[in-house]
Amino acid sequence: MPRVLRYVLLAAALLLAALWSLTLGQRDDVSLANILTLLWVDDGSLARSAVVDLRLPRTLVALLVGANLALAGLALQAVTRNPLASESILGINQGAALGIALAVVLPIFHAIPLDAMAIAGAALAGLLTFAIAGGLGGRLDSIRLILAGVAVGAFSYACVRFTYTLDDDLSRLVITWVSADISSMQAGQVAPLAVWTAIGVVSSVLLAHGFNVLALGDGASQGLGIDPRRVRFLGAGLAAVLTGASVAVAGPVMFVGLVVPHLCRFWFGQNHRALVPAVALGGASLLVLADAASKLIRFPYETPLGVVCALIGAPYFLYATLTARRLA
Amino acid sequence: MSAQRQRIILVSVLLVLTLVSAIWSLSVGAVKVPVDVILNTLFNLDGDQQRYIILRSRLPRVVLALLCGGALALSGAIIQAVIRNPLASPGIIGINSGAALFAVLLVSLMPNLPPVWMPVAACLGGLSAAGIVMLVAHFRTLSPAHLALIGVAVGLVFEAGVDYLLVTSSDAERSAPLIWLTGSLWGRTWDHVSISLAPLLCLAALAMALTYRLDLLSLGDASATGLGIRVPALRLALLAVATGLASVSVAVVGVMGFIGLMSPHIARRLVGGSHRWLLPTSMLTGMLLVSLADGVGRAIAPPIEVSAGILAALLGAPFFVYIMLTTASEQDR
Repeated sequence: MPRVLRYVLLAAALLLAALWSLTLGQRDDVSLANILTLLWVDDGSLARSAVVDLRLPRTLVALLVGANLALAGLALQAVTRNPLASESILGINQGAALGIALAVVLPIFHAIPLDAMAIAGAALAGLLTFAIAGGLGGRLDSIRLILAGVAVGAFSYACVRFTYTLDDDLSRLVITWVSADISSMQAGQVAPLAVWTAIGVVSSVLLAHGFNVLALGDGASQGLGIDPRRVRFLGAGLAAVLTGASVAVAGPVMFVGLVVPHLCRFWFGQNHRALVPAVALGGASLLVLADAASKLIRFPYETPLGVVCALIGAPYFLYATLTARRLA
Repeated sequence: MSAQRQRIILVSVLLVLTLVSAIWSLSVGAVKVPVDVILNTLFNLDGDQQRYIILRSRLPRVVLALLCGGALALSGAIIQAVIRNPLASPGIIGINSGAALFAVLLVSLMPNLPPVWMPVAACLGGLSAAGIVMLVAHFRTLSPAHLALIGVAVGLVFEAGVDYLLVTSSDAERSAPLIWLTGSLWGRTWDHVSISLAPLLCLAALAMALTYRLDLLSLGDASATGLGIRVPALRLALLAVATGLASVSVAVVGVMGFIGLMSPHIARRLVGGSHRWLLPTSMLTGMLLVSLADGVGRAIAPPIEVSAGILAALLGAPFFVYIMLTTASEQDR
């Protein structure tokens, strides 16, 4: 199958998944048959307002967050040359969550925008993980990297969990947020996220060649005139920014960054130039589907997106750990 | 001074420290109670408000902190010896998460069941998590770090389940398990002591009875077999005891990570690797750590309480990194 056709299929799947997800919800006068007219024609009905004002922002947020996290995972796997690396395993997700929790709890941080706090938390956690694993010196030890990520993640999450015990209202706020509940997204949150996604896709395309060369090893990349340290730094920074921006809007959605690049490699091969668009589309589709599932699992109640992703992703992580040969 | 005497002195110092920290822990909290009043209350049983606070609210906490700290540390020491992995602990191989999932499951599915069943459910959960990890380890030869990763993965699967139950449960029953999951001794009563005391003492006695075999096991599989030990059966029995110890304490005080990792390492520095000394010393260290964590958590900013489990994680995560850095290099290659 030509590559273009595969992209078209993936994009079509994403579109269908998004339309299907838009038809799901409490109202039964929205269906696949009339969803397109509802989206394009403003007939002033309640169904139109439910779809456009309530469901559309939520589906778009799922789509964008999925693309961001999957791209972050791809960058991290390339940078660490480790198939198990992803923002949740390396503690970056939890670091971003800690940044947000601090912003919610401590009055000193109220003035700083949430995105900035989340990105700062993500970057700090990532930096700490890399430092412990010896990445700043140049050579990364893959087992150490993951164990360090686990420790940094546990540390950050312990701090986040501390806020549960503070105050009932505060704890409810933090837990709905930590479990990645995106059911009450507003239209205003979509545009900034879309900007981050655009930046993410463009930078990933620019870095793709560097990632390809990095896969050959440090020596080879120096021989080819590419500084491996620079690619590593840029890739890890990109991952931290994309994760932080997504976590600030949707909460820490786990495992998307691990699952999507893996699955895309089966279909699109190892070339990062081909992988970047595929991973972005794949992450978006996966999260839109997970969002649809979160509406369906206990209808009419909502199951938060983060929980759905963890229930899919955690067993996949176990599978990936067992089958990863290049680990030790 | 002989090594024997040195160890005796070290262990007695540890014992005294534990007692002092326990008594100090009785005095801190939202209402301050001076130490002399505590001693008076404990031994003469007079006074009114203080007596109520000490006997009804703080003493059961301290007793539970000692019980569970000791149990977790003992469990960690056994697990580290059995799978010969310095990074192993009940938290890392998934026992804590498994026990937590089954305990939350029991609470949400059968809320009317008497609390005596909590430790049973937690043990089943802990055994199933440890079972998966050991089954995987049985079929493939794994490096210690790899084993730790599989434990982490299994733990994450069980934790996802816990999150699902917490978030989908109705609001009224939500905040209690939340605090419990952070490893808190808040609101513990003598009921909790009474349901956990008997199983913990039995398991601890069983562990002490097996110390000699544990020493033989540490000589390596071949030598142990040569000395007449049935290694697979012994290993299974020891892991079951360790899982039981950790699970029962999760059932009463929640998830308290890293105690089972830290205590044996500290104890090994103090008294060396012989299990006759290592197990009791680890137990004392665990008791000291948890009762200190609980006391400090109450003393930082009363009336707010910081969970002992959170303090343990804040201390334990850097400790884990330290252990990893000092051991990973020799075992990876």
